[in-house]
Amino acid sequence: MRKDLVFGMAGSGGDGIVSAGDSLLQAAAAEGYHGVMTKSFGSQIRGGESSCRVRISTTPVLNPGGNLDVAVALNWDDFLKFGAELPVSGTTVVIYEAATNIPEDQIPLVGVTPLQVIAVPIAAMAKETAGTERAKNTVVLGLIAGWFGIGAVAVMKGIRKKLAKKGDELVEANQRAFDAGRAFAMAHPLKASMNIVASETKGNVKLITDGNDMSAAAAIFAGCQFFGGYPITPSTEVMQFFTDQVWKYGGSVLQAEDEIAGIGAAVGASFAGKKSMTATSGPGLSLKCEMMGLASIAELPLVIIDVQRGGPSTGLPTKTEQSDLFAAAFSAHGDVIRPVLAPTSVADTFRIVIEAFNIAEYYQTPVIVLSDQEIASRKETLDPIDTSQFKIIDRLRPTAAELQGYTRFKQTENHISPISHPGMLGGTYLASGIEHVESGAPTNSGSVHQRMNDKRTKKFDPLKDRKDLFEITGNPNAPLAMVAWGSVAGVCREALAMAQAEGMNVKLMVPYLLYPVAEGAYNEFFASVQKGLIIDQTHLAQTFKLLRMHIDLPKGVHPLSRSGANPFLPGDIVAALHHLLSELQRSHEGELQPQE
Amino acid sequence: MSATGTCEFQPKDYKSDLKPIWCPGCGDFSVVQGIYRALAAVGRPPHEIAFVSGIGCSSRIPGYTTAYGFNSVHGRALPIAQGIKLANPDLLVLAAGGDGDGFSIGGGHIAHLIRRNMDITYIVMDNQIYGLTKGQLSPTSQKGRITCTSRYGSMEEPVNPLLYVLAYGAGFVAQASPTDLAGMAATIEEAIRYPGFAFVNVQSPCVTYGEEAQQIKGLKAISESLTAMGHNPADRLAAMDLAQQYGEKMHLGVFYRNPEPPPTYGDLVKERQTMLSKDALPKERILDLFIKK
Amino acid sequence: MAIQGIDFANLSLKDALDLAILVEDEAQERYEEFATQMDQHRTPDAAKFFRYMVENEAKHGRELLARRIQRFGDAPRSVTRAMIFDIEAPDYDAARAFMSPRKAMKAALASEVKAYDFFVAALPALKDTEVRALFEELRDEELEHQKLVNVELAKLPPDSGLSDEDFVDEPAAQ
Repeated sequence: MRKDLVFGMAGSGGDGIVSAGDSLLQAAAAEGYHGVMTKSFGSQIRGGESSCRVRISTTPVLNPGGNLDVAVALNWDDFLKFGAELPVSGTTVVIYEAATNIPEDQIPLVGVTPLQVIAVPIAAMAKETAGTERAKNTVVLGLIAGWFGIGAVAVMKGIRKKLAKKGDELVEANQRAFDAGRAFAMAHPLKASMNIVASETKGNVKLITDGNDMSAAAAIFAGCQFFGGYPITPSTEVMQFFTDQVWKYGGSVLQAEDEIAGIGAAVGASFAGKKSMTATSGPGLSLKCEMMGLASIAELPLVIIDVQRGGPSTGLPTKTEQSDLFAAAFSAHGDVIRPVLAPTSVADTFRIVIEAFNIAEYYQTPVIVLSDQEIASRKETLDPIDTSQFKIIDRLRPTAAELQGYTRFKQTENHISPISHPGMLGGTYLASGIEHVESGAPTNSGSVHQRMNDKRTKKFDPLKDRKDLFEITGNPNAPLAMVAWGSVAGVCREALAMAQAEGMNVKLMVPYLLYPVAEGAYNEFFASVQKGLIIDQTHLAQTFKLLRMHIDLPKGVHPLSRSGANPFLPGDIVAALHHLLSELQRSHEGELQPQE
Repeated sequence: MSATGTCEFQPKDYKSDLKPIWCPGCGDFSVVQGIYRALAAVGRPPHEIAFVSGIGCSSRIPGYTTAYGFNSVHGRALPIAQGIKLANPDLLVLAAGGDGDGFSIGGGHIAHLIRRNMDITYIVMDNQIYGLTKGQLSPTSQKGRITCTSRYGSMEEPVNPLLYVLAYGAGFVAQASPTDLAGMAATIEEAIRYPGFAFVNVQSPCVTYGEEAQQIKGLKAISESLTAMGHNPADRLAAMDLAQQYGEKMHLGVFYRNPEPPPTYGDLVKERQTMLSKDALPKERILDLFIKK
Repeated sequence: MAIQGIDFANLSLKDALDLAILVEDEAQERYEEFATQMDQHRTPDAAKFFRYMVENEAKHGRELLARRIQRFGDAPRSVTRAMIFDIEAPDYDAARAFMSPRKAMKAALASEVKAYDFFVAALPALKDTEVRALFEELRDEELEHQKLVNVELAKLPPDSGLSDEDFVDEPAAQ
């Protein structure tokens, strides 16, 4: 019996394998399991290779998992295109389409002998039972129900609901295909049973969503009333969800003519007094730089969600990467501090986006939320979130007294000035991208520039003391450490658990606030550290470099970085920790020897 | 008494204390006067007006009014103005800037604002030159124009701002000039009152880099009132015909005013919000949208 | 120079006085603006002259206002600034950075001529005899103003004939 199963399935777009993954995740959630589903595609709009990874567990899932427990290949060409995204190992059961005419002992996986390999006449069964090969995905679901014990009832319940409007005939055809798959599995039991244990939380309400939809829902919860943006993969769904919902709350959306106009409209809406946002991905972030600078100098709240993909330029539009870190921290010319936050899962995207709005409003600044393609498009099952725990912050408005002789950029103790908006009697002022004195009047004085730069940067000091924006797990005094953020953090959380289970004395820091760099938090964290890894999915080790720019990292701390679309597996991290540990032990021996 | 019978606001109520950086003799001094007068005639209090601009000499203009001003970045007055209008439809939203701001760096935005027909008035101070950067070729500079970036004469045809906006289907298109201040104020007022996107091209001479023929005297010589010519502003094709003479003749007044203004983007937004508001989950229950039963 | 919405045939004495006051107000304001522009652009001599004109226009305005109050008290005004443009005020494009006092004076002179022409042109339409008398008086005042400016012009040293533009710095890019 298993408590955790990772499925990886690939086929061509016409095979409906992603749709099957959706059904599997939903069925698992209905049966009380936790789950995560990621999708990955080729570059064709239709008919390219497509794949999904579904991880199902009896405990909350931290990441999409490492090596597959179950691989499903509807054809090998497509499966192989995903390479390291669908890693098969000696513990994997491989299920593939018998019509590929490849014998079970000759499947094209190099350097690996799977636990078991089973050719299944999937297409033939679909054709025979449903009258069309298109029902292959339903046969696969039947196989999974039969072999692994997930979704025996719930899968068909979901399919019935989904297809209810399309008539009984279609539903029954699917039922026959499902049953055939299940029966095949029953008739051909696995060498070693891989049935999942029953969930203890069966019947509890579960939510299923992805990072993009979650971002938009969080924005609405935070009181965002305006979205200006432009379609760009993989962030577009933020705009789509928002436009489905926001009208109901008296807000609006502008699908702009370009990325610049999208953020421009959001800047305008913020100036007009409403919480506003935009979402984009790398190329769009590049285009939005000037407007981000404008929002910083005009001290206007704004949330920018950047769903990272492989870059530079068009890069890898459908694959995840963390290489926008430098751009997020440093884009736009001039001396600017612009907070950058990063969620690590779909679940905490809710909290982080609310936090982004709160920080934007409180500090009157643009804030970037660095999501990534994996979090944005992966589906997670979630336990219901108690929304009453979240405080919503609104920008500081001028009082009636302050509106007598109003000074927009008034110097205050905490460098934050009450902000008026059009329509407010007595609050008129000139917002501008040009340097300005406290009243808002333009200036080119060096001393004013110094003074206002002070105001605009010092106001962020308290942000760096926000301990709640850093998650530290493991032994706080451990000599061995990891730092990871974004979707990579989930992999490291699992690696931490694995390493601890092996008896390693190690800790993990997950920063939700990436910029400004909170020197205090890191110095405290690294005080006990002799060896460590700064882990990110960038080619240039951007996180390591960003930290080193601000902090004197211990000598034994190194980057562990790789380019996007090459996911980290928990095992990779644990292996790297082992290496560090042996170095650590060697150096200790070295220290001890002279004394002996 | 203004046309509405209100005399609550005088032009001076819209004049701020900031001193213009414009060169003495600049046409923009007249334009800002025309705007003060138009705003007084319309009678909206300054705090209910948002005035947005981009970058350029003329884009300094919001600061010279007592309205809420936004002197933003080059070419982006219109996107910002649209965000403001959508966020608060009750505001009177004005956008202004130069020909470079509107038809070069920001040239892509105007077509889309016209498509959306938001109730925004856009005033372009067209001087056929980049003044702030010392006299380079602008999108409305005539072919052959010698400037510091076209020592041997420009090889490009100018943009025709009037024809451009007419072709995209703007509901209100007019031209004004400091040669006729009264007419300019009246035209801007009419533009503001038009329910939908309104465009006013103001031929505003640059005294520092402009050519002799583009100064007030030269402009007067080629100016002609559309009303006096008997032009019917409901006739879009006639307007396009006249607009073709941009650069040769300076027609002043309203080229085109849609006699049956369609609903604005704001009207449609309001309609949609009203229609859908009953479907709103309480915000604290927004995550219920993700429950799979 | 422009007017709109003024019916000269039926202009009352009160309205005519108010109109005259507004004309002086407008001119005064414009000279103030010009003086400020000259300050902004480091042209102090022209600024000084424009301030002198501010005083002249203000003085004339005060005289007219006194007469208006004496005759009509604070009876409401029915003419507005929106009805007039640039009657006695110099045109905006008459100002230039680094303009010599001579050029400033010539600009002022041109606007006094413009105002004179305005009153002359309006006269034939006027029916009320008192209004006619007032306009004739105002017309003659403009001649007096012209003389004043000419006196100032005469005080200047002879014109060098050189262009200011040949001496000043190039404009600064922003």
